[in-house]
Amino acid sequence: MRKSIKAFAVLAASALLATSIPMGGIGGRAYATSGTIEKEIVLRVCNWEEYMDLGDWDEDEVIDLDSGDIFGEKALYEEFEDWYYENYGERVRVEYSCFGTNEELYNMLTLGDEYDLVCPSEYMIMKLMSEDWLVPYSDTFFNTDVNNNYYSRNVSPYIKEKFETHDIDGKLWSEYAAGYMWGVTGFLYNPDEVTEEQITTMNAACDPDMFRQITLKDNVRDSYFLALGAIKSDRLTSEEFKNDPDYSEKLEEEMNDVSDETIAEVLDYLQAARKNVYSFETDSGKADMITGKVVANYQWSGDAVYAMDQAEEDDYYLNFAVPKESTNLWFDGWVMLKKGIGEDSAKQRAAEAFVNFLSMPENAIRNMYYIGYTSVISGNEEDDRVFEYLEWNYSADDDEEEVTEYDVSYFFGGEPGDYTMTVPEEQTRRQLYAQYPPEDVIRRSSIMRYFDVDTNAAINHMWISVRCYNLLSMPIGLRILAILLTAGLVVLVVRAIAISAKARREKRREKRVAE
Amino acid sequence: MGARKGFSRKYLGIPYAVFLAIFVILPLFVILYYAFTDGTGHFTIGNLTGFFTDPNTLGTLLYSLLIAFSTTALCLAISYPVAYILAMSNLKRKSVLVMLFVMPMWINFTLRITALKEILTVVEGNLAFHPFMNSIIGMTYDFLPFMILPIYNQISRLDRSLLEAAADLGAGSFDAFARVTLPLSMPGVASGVSMVFLPAMTNYVVLDMLYNSTYIMGSLIGSYFSAYDWHNGSMIALVLLAIIVIVTLATDAGEENDQKGGALI
Repeated sequence: MRKSIKAFAVLAASALLATSIPMGGIGGRAYATSGTIEKEIVLRVCNWEEYMDLGDWDEDEVIDLDSGDIFGEKALYEEFEDWYYENYGERVRVEYSCFGTNEELYNMLTLGDEYDLVCPSEYMIMKLMSEDWLVPYSDTFFNTDVNNNYYSRNVSPYIKEKFETHDIDGKLWSEYAAGYMWGVTGFLYNPDEVTEEQITTMNAACDPDMFRQITLKDNVRDSYFLALGAIKSDRLTSEEFKNDPDYSEKLEEEMNDVSDETIAEVLDYLQAARKNVYSFETDSGKADMITGKVVANYQWSGDAVYAMDQAEEDDYYLNFAVPKESTNLWFDGWVMLKKGIGEDSAKQRAAEAFVNFLSMPENAIRNMYYIGYTSVISGNEEDDRVFEYLEWNYSADDDEEEVTEYDVSYFFGGEPGDYTMTVPEEQTRRQLYAQYPPEDVIRRSSIMRYFDVDTNAAINHMWISVRCYNLLSMPIGLRILAILLTAGLVVLVVRAIAISAKARREKRREKRVAE
Repeated sequence: MGARKGFSRKYLGIPYAVFLAIFVILPLFVILYYAFTDGTGHFTIGNLTGFFTDPNTLGTLLYSLLIAFSTTALCLAISYPVAYILAMSNLKRKSVLVMLFVMPMWINFTLRITALKEILTVVEGNLAFHPFMNSIIGMTYDFLPFMILPIYNQISRLDRSLLEAAADLGAGSFDAFARVTLPLSMPGVASGVSMVFLPAMTNYVVLDMLYNSTYIMGSLIGSYFSAYDWHNGSMIALVLLAIIVIVTLATDAGEENDQKGGALI
């Protein structure tokens, strides 16, 4: 019944629209003043798979903070449509779709798929910025006096600082990208099998103690970063280097080293690692940790949280450790595409509002609860529900015996000690540690920049050399055998084809003779 | 006959022809274009010569051939006796038995490989020690029905009087098999071989799922595409296509009979 009313309304609206066009032509902007006609903005959003709360929570799945309950009823992008109408008076419809990897998204874009708002990782944002794909955020977006500018009002000062101190061709990240989720990389490990000290280094990939029991990511950037840290381990962990006044800048330089010699060294390291590891995994690493097939897994912090949660359901405990050399600080952020937004200011307003809507503390909490990753949103003095959620999640019970103070002030923007909570001691190695790493981990984090075209080709070739069966690595006798076998096969095949061709010709001749 | 004027059975083929043009022929030209151009859009044969001079791509080709060859051989070794016994026996519920062999295909293959992974883990302990063997087992498990069915169909269509004639002429049961049954079942074998060999060269999902980190042709193409290198990726696809054409021609040569066994699938 309601459906048919809706359909009728649409019909009526379109009829009105049709009549209003000539009217507009005659009487100036007549249609603009008429309140009954609404233009619908279509916002095409492309996000990672399973990277937004889609609502539909169970009744008992409420996050019951003291300041009020938080509950996911509908998908966030659907709730946004209502919110936008209430706040901006315009109808917007979100076309929500997903991508699997940054490279896949980039290929989709270059092949002509059009989106308005997408959420790639930092290096892809850099690539898109350098290739002039993006529309900058408007000045209004950064005005913290506007109540609806939730992003600017709530983004963590730590993330804000990162976005304002990194640039591509002189353009700051903050002008083009608004953060969404962030994290670090490290090793998820089984504390019964591996010691914390053993796994807190990138050299773990070649550790013979974990022979065939450790998995790495099947992805060239993560593997490259890991190998860099391993081959430079001594330098990166030396007191002299760590106490250098320009430590952060120098670390970032080292972890973005793409010189030919380094690529060659990385190749050697990864080839050795390949002989030592269980496998390079795309998605099986978490499950293999939980089922105990492997004892350690190089992993993104958010996925590590997910794996630790899953394991705990079976009373099985996994830990997370960040290598002492460095860790890859990564972000995913919302960027607006020129091809989609263009000059359409109404659309841009809707896109920016979408980012703001996702940055409302309650929505950031819903996302964190649903996907396990850490939101860039920290809240502000008036609304500190994100910190409240953290306490709700991790604070030690009164009867807990081993507790410790955990300081996350760097993220929430205060002097050390402003944002501390009392947590069970084990959380300094588990979910909390992965979600909000302590300040000393943050200090040794490094952003990994995008590779330019030539570097990308060189590094991809390096990666292929790691993964392929190299003909030259074959003993000479076997090589000759292989060539002989192949040649033999070719001869057989050619003969078979020749014979059948001959047979067919003869058949045809017989047929003709018979006729 | 009473066929309506102007209607020919040929017209029924139009939907397929359209499908073929859009989804097979057209993409083929796109692949051709990319394979013979460089990043700036200029014609080049560098990708082709690159393929045949890089020890990595050649090694991958060899490794894929080795995987495909071993899988096919193992499939054949298992399938032929099974198909022969099934086709020759006088069992009452033969079709039920055949169905039992086809049944695994009703279950999604990633699900089957995941189950196999757990079984192999129980047997071997750590899968990472035998990546090649596990890949062969996985592929064989996956492709076995494609080999059994065509052979079974071919043998069951065999005219039994030929065997009686062979016996009349003094052939023992082995001779009769070697000189009558075996040659006459070759079309089924050929059909089975082409249905197993070709997918085995590219089905890297099985390798991924069973923790074999070595690339085969399919994964190599994927790695080029994810580095935005359409040109080298397309060239590898093209080389693969050439191999497929050759293998198909070769197996067709052994397969005079037009009835393909895969019809049951």
